[in-house]
Amino acid sequence: DRKSQEMTMHLQQTFNAAILTSLHPRSQIDIFVEVLQSDGGNYCASVNAATLAVIDAGIPMKDYVCACSASYLGDSPIVDINYLEESSGSPEITVAVLPKSEQIVFLEMNGRLHEDNLSKVVDMAVKGCKDVYGVLDRTVREHVSQVGSSLET
Amino acid sequence: MAAPTICVPGQRICRLEETCKQGNGTYPRNGYIYSSLAGYLHTFEDEDGKSLIEVKTQEEQNVVPSVDAIVTTRITNVNPRFCKCLILSVGKIPLREPFRGQIRKEDVRATEKDKLSLGDAHSYILSTAENELGVVIATSEAGATLEPISWCKMKCPKTMAEEFRKVAKVQPKYVQYAGT
Repeated sequence: DRKSQEMTMHLQQTFNAAILTSLHPRSQIDIFVEVLQSDGGNYCASVNAATLAVIDAGIPMKDYVCACSASYLGDSPIVDINYLEESSGSPEITVAVLPKSEQIVFLEMNGRLHEDNLSKVVDMAVKGCKDVYGVLDRTVREHVSQVGSSLET
Repeated sequence: MAAPTICVPGQRICRLEETCKQGNGTYPRNGYIYSSLAGYLHTFEDEDGKSLIEVKTQEEQNVVPSVDAIVTTRITNVNPRFCKCLILSVGKIPLREPFRGQIRKEDVRATEKDKLSLGDAHSYILSTAENELGVVIATSEAGATLEPISWCKMKCPKTMAEEFRKVAKVQPKYVQYAGT
């Protein structure tokens, strides 16, 4: 359906920017994502999960890709919005970032947002991505040290 | 031995200098070397005194056959027009899962290399059109290992029968004896 196709395109665009595809010429890298249950933030969860999968597969990447959403409700920007907040009609900004270099690889906005509030909301989303990066990084390092130590013994 | 450092993709390893070269699992950017894999950092000393910086994962490196790569294969099917094989290793690196390859009849002896494409959706296309490429190990119809006697014939030590094969002239630098 339309929504899945759009999500597919977005994920492709995002990972094209992060994976070093030149190291695998004439090859296809497949990333399959299945959403079991969601309360909003489908794209963000997909990106974060796919980043971990690609790292685990040993496919070389420039950096992690972390995604987070943010919105502007009432008078203040909020981060990581859920389904209720998404459908309430307030604007929604989704951002995917390479955390180390702070480069934005994907940015999508739905709804109407006043330009005075734009930088606040985007900054909030980017900070959310960095927090996600902290969690992912810790887990990856733990995993590598566990697997590495089980090999040496 | 000190515990080796863990690296993750995007982690900055060191400055790109004359003395260091980046190896597998790393990429250069803005004058620095960054890691592109999650694994352990290894530094090797080269003969020139340069240090090769690599990031090694717990599995074998993800190697994929590329154009002009020398591969080791096992033939699975023989057909008058082509033979099918399984690619077991690329260069010195053994693969975890074999890839499928195809050697066409015309590509066994001599070929114009520019015509050859990398392959299609089923299998890679291979050629043995050079002196050093061809059959390395073969079994005769009697079941014994064939010994090469010329560039196109091999002899069975049991039955003394000669069979036609395109024999590879393997260069000594590629030979690794078991036990060394």
